[in-house]
Amino acid sequence: MESSATPASGDRSGLERSSLSRLPDRALSWGLTSLAILILALIVFFFIRLIGESGSTFSTFGISFVFGNDWDVSRNIFHGAPLVVGTLITSGVALLIGVPVAVATALYLTELCPRRMRAPLSGLVDLLAAVPSVVYGLWGVFFLAPKLLPAEKWFANTFSFIPWIGGGGSSATPTNYFIASLVLAIMILPIVSAISREVLATVPAENKEAALALGATRWEMIRMAVLPYSRSGIVGGAMLGLGRALGETIAIVLLIGDAPVIGHHLFSQGYSLAAVIANEFGEAQGIHRSALFAAGLVLFVLTLLVNIIARAYVARGSRGMRVGASADLAMAAAESRS
Amino acid sequence: MSALSLPEVSPRRRRTDRIMRGVMLAATLLALVPLVLVIFYLLKEGLGSINGAFFTQDPSGSFFGNVGGVRSAILGSVEIVLLATVIAVPIGIGVALYLTEYGTDSRFATVVRYFVDVMTGVPSIVFGLFIYISLVLSHVGGNFTAWKGSVALALLMLPIIIRSAEVVLLLVPASLREAALALGAPRWRIIRKVVLPTAAPGLVTGSLLAVARGMGETAPLLFTAAGASGLTFSLSQQMNSLPLQIYNDVLSPRSAIVSQAWAAGLTLVAMVLILNLIARAISRRSRVA
Amino acid sequence: MTKEIHVRTSRIGAVAAALVVALAIAACGSSSSSSSAPAGGSSSSGSSSSAAAGGGSVTATVDGAGSTLAAPIYQQWGSTLKSKGLTINFNPVGSGAGQTDLESATVGFAGSDPSLKPVDVKAMKGSVLQFPVAAGGITVSYNLPGVKSGLKLDGPTVASIFSGKIKTWNDPAIKALNPGISLPSTAITVVHRSDSSGTTEGFTTYLSDVSSTWKSSIGLGKDVKWPVGTGAAENSGVAAAVKQTAGAVGYVEQAYALENGFTYAAIKNSAGTSVSPTITNTSDAFLGVKVPADLGISTINSPNSGAYPIVSQTFLDAYQDPCKDGGLSSSTAKGLFEFLTYAFGAGQSTLGSGGNKLPYAPLPASLAAEDQTQLKTMTCNGAPLS
Repeated sequence: MESSATPASGDRSGLERSSLSRLPDRALSWGLTSLAILILALIVFFFIRLIGESGSTFSTFGISFVFGNDWDVSRNIFHGAPLVVGTLITSGVALLIGVPVAVATALYLTELCPRRMRAPLSGLVDLLAAVPSVVYGLWGVFFLAPKLLPAEKWFANTFSFIPWIGGGGSSATPTNYFIASLVLAIMILPIVSAISREVLATVPAENKEAALALGATRWEMIRMAVLPYSRSGIVGGAMLGLGRALGETIAIVLLIGDAPVIGHHLFSQGYSLAAVIANEFGEAQGIHRSALFAAGLVLFVLTLLVNIIARAYVARGSRGMRVGASADLAMAAAESRS
Repeated sequence: MSALSLPEVSPRRRRTDRIMRGVMLAATLLALVPLVLVIFYLLKEGLGSINGAFFTQDPSGSFFGNVGGVRSAILGSVEIVLLATVIAVPIGIGVALYLTEYGTDSRFATVVRYFVDVMTGVPSIVFGLFIYISLVLSHVGGNFTAWKGSVALALLMLPIIIRSAEVVLLLVPASLREAALALGAPRWRIIRKVVLPTAAPGLVTGSLLAVARGMGETAPLLFTAAGASGLTFSLSQQMNSLPLQIYNDVLSPRSAIVSQAWAAGLTLVAMVLILNLIARAISRRSRVA
Repeated sequence: MTKEIHVRTSRIGAVAAALVVALAIAACGSSSSSSSAPAGGSSSSGSSSSAAAGGGSVTATVDGAGSTLAAPIYQQWGSTLKSKGLTINFNPVGSGAGQTDLESATVGFAGSDPSLKPVDVKAMKGSVLQFPVAAGGITVSYNLPGVKSGLKLDGPTVASIFSGKIKTWNDPAIKALNPGISLPSTAITVVHRSDSSGTTEGFTTYLSDVSSTWKSSIGLGKDVKWPVGTGAAENSGVAAAVKQTAGAVGYVEQAYALENGFTYAAIKNSAGTSVSPTITNTSDAFLGVKVPADLGISTINSPNSGAYPIVSQTFLDAYQDPCKDGGLSSSTAKGLFEFLTYAFGAGQSTLGSGGNKLPYAPLPASLAAEDQTQLKTMTCNGAPLS
């Protein structure tokens, strides 16, 4: 080995280093690993604390804490079905409204938008995330809710034949499940849109061009080449949005009406797990406080479940996507030829 | 040999295409409607309250006369979020480094990644309560103090920083890393001289987004930093913050104070907007090709 | 390219370092400066204090939390006392939360509308003193197009309205009390608080007093299960909901209703007189009320013939020995003492009706004197504070 081939660090080959010089590496690895362990420990500790504090609730009420329908603070009865139902309804409706709009927006911005407008428009959509949740909540209460009430009443009366979604027009209140879900949808829109945009941008140009070359219209190209490819990524984005929706506190407190009942209609008042914690924790004592921790625990578990499902779906989708896309293209080609 | 004949696009398909394109454009405009409405409302309700005193005076708490301003809220927010950033950013980037450098195949890393995901969905108030029961009730270093609010916010910001940092660190070209390795550089040097500098703009962007989120949160501060009217720089006392000031002021019987609440909301949006613009400018200017 | 990266990194690093240094300075410096006073104060975790000799003003920061009804009072007093070096931080989280905070000794004093019940007293860390501070009326505010003023109601009718037994404004019961007014057939929309509130407790205490059916079926408390109606968060939420809905009726704090020009009903009191919620009528609620040894009075449904019947007193609770039980430093305890001295002395003259006064009922002189006497029993680790 002549000198021209030796590395700059010395006359030893680069693969052999003194154990002393390995020290910083080992320290770094140890340091970073301990940070990761710290995070894990924090969450586990958090979880254990939640379980510990909510223990007495579950021993007193058992499973009816989650499924029973009677949240009565003054009588120390804590059956939290209204809370769970309210959380699921608002998050579900928020997803239903927010995700299609967000994905459609992302599609427009990546596929159809004139190049010059792309950056400013994307920036504007992202700006939705800059508004703090307390401002959304207050704006919802003082501006949006009263403005939408007549329209909500009209809708409820016109479509009263649809169970739950319609009907109840006369008892519609300004704060209800719908307005809370609507504002939630606005809040999750920027997140889902931003992630969808990232995902849509990774679709290989060949897939798109192949579809176009086969004579597909713009929309058909999106339907056949872009969407199937990005489906799992978009679902991932939707799950992030769902996580945000499940956990939103202040805006829900102000907009859902805080009524500890399961509302009979879309435009009735209800409650949610995060909202009840915010409202009642300050002065909760004893079993009441434990019940609020139990609500937090249920929320935690709910988030965990949602994440498990999302991850499983994403994992499954990414494996089959390439096969699916080409099959779709082939089918489309056959269709257009006939 | 017949050439591949491209079939005519049927009117039905053309119509569908046009409709769907219209739908997507409509969706984009629809998404922007709330933004316009919110900004407009804030301006309408709050612009009248914005003057010099708004920024240079503390809320007077007085029922009559001068309502004062929101100076202590603005500075309080800045200080609390600053401390939260100092806590969350190093830890967050550290964990992300762990996940990318050492944890691509390990099961432990997968578990950590999972739990970080879960953390993103935890309601902001639960972080505040967690700090309340562990730190406030035990009277560690005071009762309601600003630094405990910072810790609660840091917990909120951590998952965002970890997630975004992980994405950015993974984007560092493997070729750069491998070149450094081939030259015999130890891992820590690779991280310090190659990975971090390359990823720096993206890391800054992610951190700024987390900071923007932290600035807008009320719930974690309710049970930790509580509130104060006067200006204080000491982190071991209760401290005012913009979201809290907004929430309390809106409930006031005095309409001048309510108007000030909206003006404070406008200020908060402006501050977050500026942060977002800075993040965007940094990421755009330094895209490592 | 590498040079660019180096410069960028070092610039980012420099900025970060500067921020950390600034933060460290802020954290270590324990000065709490008010907007006018010069530097040099003491934080509640107790470093050096500057207590002027001879009972003059003390420089301290006192933290309190509790009643939203009383919040404007404490905030106004805090604003006045700031020039004397005393900083009062009051967190309007609600009576119950304030009590809980005092029980965990995370605040120096609590503002509570309801008096302390035996179970609350037991939960405290030590002996607690409760001081009546003021009283505020609870109005029955309504939004009825065509009926701008002069609506009269009585206790049982209000209970029936809020329990849903009376459903329209032209119900015979309401008509009977208002012979001269033509009432529309609009449906009544009840608006109540959705959050836990001392105001709710005051209102439901009154309803339980005047209606035995209310007492047995719904009861009283900061948070009850309302049989009918819409919930709204906070006073302002109820006020907004009432304003937006024709035919709505809700219970709104007097200060809020007066400040914002609400329409409210006159209520028949225990003596049979129809009384409007003016400050004078609210103050009359103090007269003739029994004062127990722990000063835990109740002004609800006052026996006085001129009194407005739905008046909620509000208390200030603090430990008898705030240093030993409440964990306050001696300087903070002195600050608390100064604050309370002001509250039952000069502070009372800031309350009342008319121009520059807060729209609350001040204490009658005898009650203020009782507060002063009780205040003298406050000690710090055994040593009297006065």
